[in-house]
Amino acid sequence: MKIAVVGKGGSGKTTTSGTTARLLARKGKRVIALDCDSNPNLGLSIGLSVAETDRLVSLRQRLDEEDAEHAPSAHEILERFGTLAPDGIQMAVVSRIDQYDPG
Amino acid sequence: MRIAVVGKGGTGKSVISGTLARVLARRGHKVLAMDVDTMPGLAFSLGLANQTGGILPEEMAEKQEKKGWKLKKGTRINTLVSKYSQVAADGVRYLQLGKLPDKLKPGSTMAFWYVLQRFKRNGWDMFADLAAGTRQPFSGWANSAEMLLLVIEPSAKSVLSVRRLAKLAQWPKRKRKKIPPEPPQVMLVANKLRSQDDLVLIQQGTKDLDLPIVAEIPFDSELAVGEQLGKALLDHRPNAAAVRTIEKLANFLVEKTSNGLVQNKGESK
Repeated sequence: MKIAVVGKGGSGKTTTSGTTARLLARKGKRVIALDCDSNPNLGLSIGLSVAETDRLVSLRQRLDEEDAEHAPSAHEILERFGTLAPDGIQMAVVSRIDQYDPG
Repeated sequence: MRIAVVGKGGTGKSVISGTLARVLARRGHKVLAMDVDTMPGLAFSLGLANQTGGILPEEMAEKQEKKGWKLKKGTRINTLVSKYSQVAADGVRYLQLGKLPDKLKPGSTMAFWYVLQRFKRNGWDMFADLAAGTRQPFSGWANSAEMLLLVIEPSAKSVLSVRRLAKLAQWPKRKRKKIPPEPPQVMLVANKLRSQDDLVLIQQGTKDLDLPIVAEIPFDSELAVGEQLGKALLDHRPNAAAVRTIEKLANFLVEKTSNGLVQNKGESK
């Protein structure tokens, strides 16, 4: 299954996504959790610490830094740049704005 | 004054900007409250049900020499503000520039904002309620404010968000337009405080940012009831402690920003 979670700010998107991901993982599903918010906080709801959440570098940024000629497969990207979260979830941040004028 | 309000979703940006706008309007200020969020919610805090928005592209002219839009010759900014804004509670003028009807292209509305920046001394106090998150606020809107209010609530997520926003606000290599010449002053507004511990959490989490907390707004469960009904804080709970705190914040803004003057002496150009 591929689920996207949307809604007004503060309504609980992140909490719902994080908790659902963990419950599914506990049932034995292989879960990939992607934070697509430019202000990514999913790490906190999935059970990572503040420091770990803050350290997550976006895939986009990592790919920009890497040699674009050798863009790896989706799986490889997750392996290399994702983080292992509680209950075996593979988690990654898609895009984070760290600079005023990102390319 | 030109104030932009940013923060994590649900922290109270709209309620705070809407209430500030109305408090100042009641004191005789000419206030323009702009919702620049693609999910506009400011109208509720201004007692409006209707949220139509945008400036029609034909009001603006495309620049010939370079990319972009400008105000059509002979058009006055005050005319456009009157034409496209709605009169909200307490006489606040409300402009919705975030979510546009399908036929409107964002270009002309964004351009209108750039035009608005130049009308620093036309007597309006301007409040911009910006989108949640970090992407939109800093691709234009937040940079033209003279003061940036970062709304923070006592939660790890909100603290983390404010840390990111503060960093973006200080970003040294911003391609700033010449107007305004100064980068915005950045201040924290603490909201939904239930206890001293809540304040301490915020203070600890933002200590190294060295940003002043200019308002400590207490949590009010009645506010949630107002939200359920879609009623503005000022109408639903006019005597709430939160309102008192926002009134004090309004005093502070008048003191610390330019043009904090009551404009009753006729229209300026």
